[in-house]
Amino acid sequence: MEIFSDLVMGLSYAVTPINLAYLLIGAMVGMIVGVIPGFGPSAGLAILLPLTFGMDPIGAIMMLAAIYYGSMYGGTITSILLNTPGESATVASTFDGYPLAKKGRAGPALVMQAVASFVGGTVGVILITILAPMFSQVSRSFGPPEYFLLAMMGMLTLLVMIGSNWKLGVISALIGFALGTVGVDLETGQSRYTFGSAELIGGIYFIPIAIGLFGLGELFYAFYSQIHKSASGSLVEYGREQRFWPTAQDFLSTRWTMVRGSILGFVVGVIPGAGATIASLMAYSTERSLSKTPENFGQGEMAGLVAPETANNAASSGAMIPLLTLGIPGSASTAVLLAAFLLWGLRPGPLFMEQNPELAWGMIASMYLGNIILLAINIFAIPLFVQIIKVPYRILGPCVVVICLLGTFTVHASFVETWLMFAAGVVGFFMRLYGFSPAALVLALVLGPLAEEALRQTLTISRGSFGIFLDRPASLWIIGVTIALVVLLPLMGRIGAGAGRAEKAGG
Amino acid sequence: MTQLQDSLTGWIKAGALGLAVAAPFAVAAQAQTYPDPGETLDWTIAFGPGGGNDIMARTIVEILNTYDLYPGDITVENRAGGSGAVGWGYLFGQAGSGYGISTTSGSFVTTPLQADTPWEPADFTPVALLATDDLVLVVNGSSDIQDIGQFIEYAQSNPVTIAGTGTVNVDFIVPTLFAQAAGFEFEYVSFNSMADQTTALLSQSVDAMVGNPGEILGLIDSGDLRALVYSGASTPEALGDVPTMGEVGYEIGVSMPRGLILPPDAPAEAQAFWIETMQQVVETPEWAEYIRSNTLTPTVLYGEEFRTFLTNTQNGFAEVLRSVGAIQ
Repeated sequence: MEIFSDLVMGLSYAVTPINLAYLLIGAMVGMIVGVIPGFGPSAGLAILLPLTFGMDPIGAIMMLAAIYYGSMYGGTITSILLNTPGESATVASTFDGYPLAKKGRAGPALVMQAVASFVGGTVGVILITILAPMFSQVSRSFGPPEYFLLAMMGMLTLLVMIGSNWKLGVISALIGFALGTVGVDLETGQSRYTFGSAELIGGIYFIPIAIGLFGLGELFYAFYSQIHKSASGSLVEYGREQRFWPTAQDFLSTRWTMVRGSILGFVVGVIPGAGATIASLMAYSTERSLSKTPENFGQGEMAGLVAPETANNAASSGAMIPLLTLGIPGSASTAVLLAAFLLWGLRPGPLFMEQNPELAWGMIASMYLGNIILLAINIFAIPLFVQIIKVPYRILGPCVVVICLLGTFTVHASFVETWLMFAAGVVGFFMRLYGFSPAALVLALVLGPLAEEALRQTLTISRGSFGIFLDRPASLWIIGVTIALVVLLPLMGRIGAGAGRAEKAGG
Repeated sequence: MTQLQDSLTGWIKAGALGLAVAAPFAVAAQAQTYPDPGETLDWTIAFGPGGGNDIMARTIVEILNTYDLYPGDITVENRAGGSGAVGWGYLFGQAGSGYGISTTSGSFVTTPLQADTPWEPADFTPVALLATDDLVLVVNGSSDIQDIGQFIEYAQSNPVTIAGTGTVNVDFIVPTLFAQAAGFEFEYVSFNSMADQTTALLSQSVDAMVGNPGEILGLIDSGDLRALVYSGASTPEALGDVPTMGEVGYEIGVSMPRGLILPPDAPAEAQAFWIETMQQVVETPEWAEYIRSNTLTPTVLYGEEFRTFLTNTQNGFAEVLRSVGAIQ
């Protein structure tokens, strides 16, 4: 088959000692930028970009691509261990990853996230290899009406996040929507709630809010509950047997989760602009609504960690499709890759794979190798990372503050965002104390502006008519899937509601 | 924290120094008091690495080093934040010095219109306008519209939708002025990025869009998009025989300035030195390659003419934006 000859050709370009060295460097750098909260793949890519001037483009693209998908592996580590998402696509991994660590299952959680990332990444590359031309049609059929409907589908996730105490959940989401209105109004260009600050023109970025709400909020709560004074003084009770490997049950119970997460993540990743963050959140809520035990989600359910992890890695593979087949970057990170192509004098577009087969297929082939390398790095590094939670909390706590601060400041070097992070930390503590939902707030902050902009674009295009949603085949498809989900969700919700309410009543 | 932060800035600097090989001291080709080879030139990039402003600054520094055009050391630092407000604010704070320097881009004009920056573009000491970013108007390749004449004719009887990036941006100003001149009406649909608006056009959600040609040349080559008209003074080679707005009779004269500035009230000999130096830079083959690969329009103005250009551009923008209520 032609695909395999292309792939073998790609491998022959990718597997040279120097290129493999670049791949290894890329994978390591990706892990590191992923681990540092706030310091996401796009920032890591942008900083290394100037170094690729004058490099062989194949080695350079292999390295840059590895930074991108490698950060998806690294980003989960702090989500699990410190409740602080390393970057936006791993926010969903805190929901069950951190409870797992608190239950003394940090080791298995880290191994399972590495395995899930590997499965997601690899399934993603296989789908690129086989289906790239077909999926380029998906990217071509998405316009503002479809993005609006996609955001609406994401809002269904909110229903899941809101949890049993719906009043507090709705208030949390409304705070998120309100924060999402800050910044220049895209359609009219008017500034909303920026108070003349240049740093707020672009709106409230959700990384400082997420780091504050989750990372600092959890920290304040830990001090409030006097963990630092407790006998062992460590963040979580680490099981005496120190079981490092996941059980067979962990693998068996999540095998379909991995399949679903990979496919969902890939499809969402293919849509430019939707990306790994939305993919991971959607995978989490889908998995929860399909689960037989939805009440365990948020309490340390392995499927709740595996779903977003496979999805964000599969999405980072999927995002390569619009880049390779249309020259359209689907995310901030692939935008830097596009800039790299332009820098090297290449012309991304529909003819790119035909004109530069060695580069395109070299990169695709390297992604198979890169995922294997990353799995290996993770498995070796996990025992080291697990040591973090053995550090007494009175020492770890201040370190977390520094990590949160550093992570926020390095993103845009903005003091306004740094103060926002601290404010979000205080708010996050009280939300935690009184049973509000920080997850709903963050999700609303991500989806609110997306939905608002897409709806206003749609209505500008249709001159105010909502009929546009029914005129377009792609939007009809999404409406169909959404209705199917809406019918499914209440059924699932009814089963779990009783148990959840009883449990959370104490707040 | 400081240590880690330092190491981060260290990476950035390492990247910068990799390109900005320290120039030899005291070549003394220039006999004036400026530049003093003992002083380090502090080059501010008001945006992060990888963006248009960054690439332009690093290209110029590379040329300065290759041809030994600056005798002292140059440090290049990215000071991103607030759409350029942070970096240019830093340069503004060096008033009176001849050893701070920065490159400009569209935000240099638009950010002060949107936020309370302590500076205005005209406050800085102008060195040179080196190039302009201009836009191409494209339609979907499957559209019946083959050229700009047909587009205007169609738009005069059927109001069209045109996509662009942002509203306080040249993407909105250019089609607005062009439509006024050509006598048609359109709805502007604002997107967050070039990628979003391209997706909208490919999915046939909008009738046309404007954008910098660099990112979409591939789609134009493959026939997925069709270029109709270019807003700059001369069409880049890569776009072939697409006419300019001036050639079809509707000159609008608005573009985004890519230039070089010094702090406010910099010494006259510093300004003179940099004007003379940039006259040499724009003659190099490296500069020609930069213009070509980034599909920029080589528009060169020096000193006070550049200041006038900035003031006129900003006034033109403010007028259009005020008329639609985008700014006050």
